[in-house]
Amino acid sequence: MNSVASRKRDRFGWVKGYLHISPSILGFCIFVAYPLVMSVYYALTKWDGYNKPEYVGFDNFNYLFTVDPVFWKALRITFYYVLINVPASLIGGLLLAMLLNKNLPGIKFFRTAFYLPTVLPMIATLTLWKFIYQPQYGLANRVLHLFGADPVNWLSDERLALFSVIIAGLWQIGGGMIIFLSGLQSIPQDLYEASSMDGAKGWAVFRNVTLPLIAPILFLQLILGIIGAFQSFAQVQVMTGGGPNYATELLNFKIYSDVFGSKMFGYGIAEVWILFLIIMFFTLITFRFSNQFVHYENDNR
Amino acid sequence: MKTEYSAPAVRIAGPSRRKAQPVNIIRMAVLLIGTVAMLYPLLWVITIALKGNNDIFTTTPQWLPTEFHFENFVKGTKEIHFWQMFKNSVFISILSTIGQVASSIVVGYGLSRLRFPGRKLWFSSFIGSMMLPGFVGLVPVFHLFSQLGWYNTWLPLIVPSYLGNPAFTFLFIQFLSTIPKSFDEAAKMDGAGDTQILWRILVPMSLPVVVTMIIFAFNGSWNQYLEPLIYLVDQDKWTLSVALASFASNWTTQWNYFMAADLIYMLPLLIIFFFGQKYFMQGLGSVNSAGLK
Repeated sequence: MNSVASRKRDRFGWVKGYLHISPSILGFCIFVAYPLVMSVYYALTKWDGYNKPEYVGFDNFNYLFTVDPVFWKALRITFYYVLINVPASLIGGLLLAMLLNKNLPGIKFFRTAFYLPTVLPMIATLTLWKFIYQPQYGLANRVLHLFGADPVNWLSDERLALFSVIIAGLWQIGGGMIIFLSGLQSIPQDLYEASSMDGAKGWAVFRNVTLPLIAPILFLQLILGIIGAFQSFAQVQVMTGGGPNYATELLNFKIYSDVFGSKMFGYGIAEVWILFLIIMFFTLITFRFSNQFVHYENDNR
Repeated sequence: MKTEYSAPAVRIAGPSRRKAQPVNIIRMAVLLIGTVAMLYPLLWVITIALKGNNDIFTTTPQWLPTEFHFENFVKGTKEIHFWQMFKNSVFISILSTIGQVASSIVVGYGLSRLRFPGRKLWFSSFIGSMMLPGFVGLVPVFHLFSQLGWYNTWLPLIVPSYLGNPAFTFLFIQFLSTIPKSFDEAAKMDGAGDTQILWRILVPMSLPVVVTMIIFAFNGSWNQYLEPLIYLVDQDKWTLSVALASFASNWTTQWNYFMAADLIYMLPLLIIFFFGQKYFMQGLGSVNSAGLK
């Protein structure tokens, strides 16, 4: 190849490459770099989002940890939510995928039925569940009535509200299920045959064949699940408004109300940083932990 | 091309197909109960949407409507100016879908097919940015857009779509890596430029993943709640998500109207899902090296 021509093309390629990725570079600057830099500063200010931010040092964090009556409760509620929600939807989704991976009659119908709720717009499902939980005429209490149980104040009972929100979320378990299912289907059939020839059954097959092979998917779902659950917002905003008595006050919802409700922009951003650090912490722990049991296929070669 | 994505036709029937009959009966039972739990809430909404004003509040549970009140759909949609917001949502979603898919395709092509310094660094930056919690960006970006005079307009919901979507870019790159570069080279020999190679050759070959992106993008935009909630003030600019969430609190006495409106809000996504299902499963499968059947 002619070296002058190739150099010319390379120089042109440089421009061309950057032209192609320029939308994402711009997006990265506006939605990642700029906010990251600015929010460090904003977190240290008293700011209503309208007038000039006023530098106050660590006052926001101080108030957050020592004065704010809701912060610690919101933190606790958020942890409960993540701790119940993530394992329930992961394990539930996996079990469901294993059930739906069998060749049963009508299996396509079942798969569609379980996937259907995840197709619906989130606000539609949340408002729908709000009515399902309606104390007098809602579906949930009517089902309880069928079993002879007393009606329950699903969303306005402090002890039940968070649980009810989580249950409503599990209606969309099909989203995780479909990803596990595609993972299960990519497992080569001969591995199952080999293990059954070795006399492996049930749990042993799952433990030694299925689990190691879907571990990467499980791990990815775990990370995404944790990140997503920590950031849940609409569930609470639409169904409970954080109540009763802050029983469903997820941290993300508190941030939203502090920023856009009380116009405490600086304070809200300080809270965002706490949330960010928590998410980072759990993501890193999960990564560390995963090294012990996730083995990618390529590692062995 | 097609065979590459399809899963093996024979599925696992368990280690021992003949012995496990009782187990299969238990499986069927669990699936049936689960299916009822999944589908019943939806059927319940449909029945409520068809019930008369007084039938909703009968104390003895009445599972099926005695008469069908289709006029609920008309009344429900009239009272909240539903169709205005439906149009808003459609307009925003279509523009935002075009933006996300087109920009992600262009960026994906640049990152996977063109060679230039800093390529790997940008790639990891874009992918890494997906890990950043949404709220970190939200407040500064909200302030920025307000300064630009975009508060109470649709611009914050549409313009960012044209700046690439890291997840879609990644999806497209993954798919492009399964298409041999010899296709590009052959086209280049025939005098095709990058634009032609991308849109005339690679995009048509990537149809499953492009359709997947379209479905995801439309879904995401139709679902979008937080952004319209914080940016849009005037009711006639609202999207359906904001409108329905707001009316769910006010309409406690007229569920039948609300449910009727809610059902129409669900409809576009249901239609897209049922028509795009085949492509969608293939496109999703391409990430996973095996398609779903």
